Amino acid sequence: MKLTVDERWDLIDKITKQVVKYGEYKYTLKDAIAELTVKPLTGIPIAIAVLYGFWAFFGAFAGFFTDGFFVKLFDNHWLPWLQGVFPGKGGWLYYIFVGDPKADNCFEAFGVLTSGLFVAIGVVLPAIIAFYLFLIILEDSGYLPRLAVLIDTVLHKIGLHGFAVVPMILSLGCNVPAVVATRTLETKKQRFMMATLLAIFIPCGAQLGIMLEVIPEYVGLVMIYLLAGFFIFGFILNKLIPGRSPEILLDIPPYQMPIARNVRRKLWARVKSFFTVAVPFVLLGVVIVNIMYLTGFLDWLANLLEPILCGWFGVPKETVGPLIAAFLRKDLAVAQLSAIEMTTYQLVTSVVLVSLYFPCVATFAMLIKEGREEGLKGVLQYLFGSLLALITVVFLWGGLVHLIWIILGVA
Amino acid sequence: MGNPNVGKSAIFNRLAGAKVMESNYPGTTVDYTKGYMRLENKDIEIIDVPGTFSLEPKDKAEEVAVKMLKENKDAVIICVIDSTKLERGLYLALEIIEEGYPVIIALNMWDIAKDKNIWINIEKLENILGVPVVATVAVSGEGIKELVSKIKEASPANIERIVERAGGLEK
Repeated sequence: MKLTVDERWDLIDKITKQVVKYGEYKYTLKDAIAELTVKPLTGIPIAIAVLYGFWAFFGAFAGFFTDGFFVKLFDNHWLPWLQGVFPGKGGWLYYIFVGDPKADNCFEAFGVLTSGLFVAIGVVLPAIIAFYLFLIILEDSGYLPRLAVLIDTVLHKIGLHGFAVVPMILSLGCNVPAVVATRTLETKKQRFMMATLLAIFIPCGAQLGIMLEVIPEYVGLVMIYLLAGFFIFGFILNKLIPGRSPEILLDIPPYQMPIARNVRRKLWARVKSFFTVAVPFVLLGVVIVNIMYLTGFLDWLANLLEPILCGWFGVPKETVGPLIAAFLRKDLAVAQLSAIEMTTYQLVTSVVLVSLYFPCVATFAMLIKEGREEGLKGVLQYLFGSLLALITVVFLWGGLVHLIWIILGVA
Repeated sequence: MGNPNVGKSAIFNRLAGAKVMESNYPGTTVDYTKGYMRLENKDIEIIDVPGTFSLEPKDKAEEVAVKMLKENKDAVIICVIDSTKLERGLYLALEIIEEGYPVIIALNMWDIAKDKNIWINIEKLENILGVPVVATVAVSGEGIKELVSKIKEASPANIERIVERAGGLEK
């Protein structure tokens, strides 16, 4: 026998009346905190305070390890030693692995074993540890869903209900699981929109981390551009794409003390995947860019793209190298950008461009995979849809950023 | 199986000693994960699935959960229920019982229910449903041993008998 929906609820009612006893409800400190963090009047200042705490903790932690330890280790010991012992100074192998023989710091050397290793281990590793540690604690304590409720109102305006915040926040860690998490959205329209938007606009943990390290003073500006782009293009996509965006109620989990074991395990999983997945890509990125440079391909491409890069976006043509590296790893690209002589405007714009212009290889593969779940048509839709959205966004948004700065008189 | 954010992954990790991401927000698990646990010297396969409110899926993650259930006709189902939200957990559990699966119920987050002064009479619930019910706190491991020891007691229950024991339905 199968019950109807109503019969089932009726039965549940009967059962719970017999087995559940509700004692007097005590208003606890947890409830008070829960309320304060969700109500806009107190919630928004608290959110700002939490983000500020995040930023401060990050600066202290990553700064301590990178500036206090790794910079000294790499620049004073590793670089001079390697420059001395690596054979064939001036040869192409030397260039690929050690880089510029005259460099006195690992940021500007550009070799696989100098800049590549330094960026991966010295800069990104402390950054992602600090970043994920804080994120995991926010996640496990139950604060993140409350932040979601706060952002909900804004997201409604672009047709995404608050639940889309879960992929968005996951995206701050890494776009790949975030694209997968769009599965919890109900309609195809929502899934496509969210996957595309976050792949384009939301920087990943590694990229955020390195931005906070090498250009901390401009991270705010970059994020404003990206988030403004997220909302504006979200609004437009919502109007353009057929389909509906139904409501889902988001369950707010209780506040909990994060459990050390769980935090440790998640942090370890992140660090492990950083070593197995990210580091090889960073090193590969350096190799590819160096080979392109040595063969003259990079110069050729830079000259070819000069009208677009300089004319439309207003950034130097040298950014073409980092833009290629960005396809593999966004963190590497940001590090390379920071070594190029640029004005503030150019630096901010090129970092925004690096974030926008193409999702990294791993995210791109995941976008295709998600599309495949819906058949060949799905793959094509995801592929062309997101590429179309991407190109439009890069050109419009990049140009608009340029225009704003021209109007402000700084470009 | 269970609703979103009731601790399915936490219980899975306790049972399989595996490394499924646990998070304190709904929608962390969007795909299934397989693992193994020892039960009476045999390796038993266990599967962690995404949360769902009913067997009529609303999104793709829920579809995965329902599909896994349908594909494993001979499985024993551990229904994980948030003790503070018994009603809607029972809804899913009853649906699974009606499908004829052997079920064991884990009343998870028992500690939070206690804090909130919600008391569930486990014995009575067991008697009405005719399936084993265990109070658990997955994050700290409380009740997990009892859960494991009672898995073999899980058996299909007859929904008509449940209705009878609960005192009949409104007409």
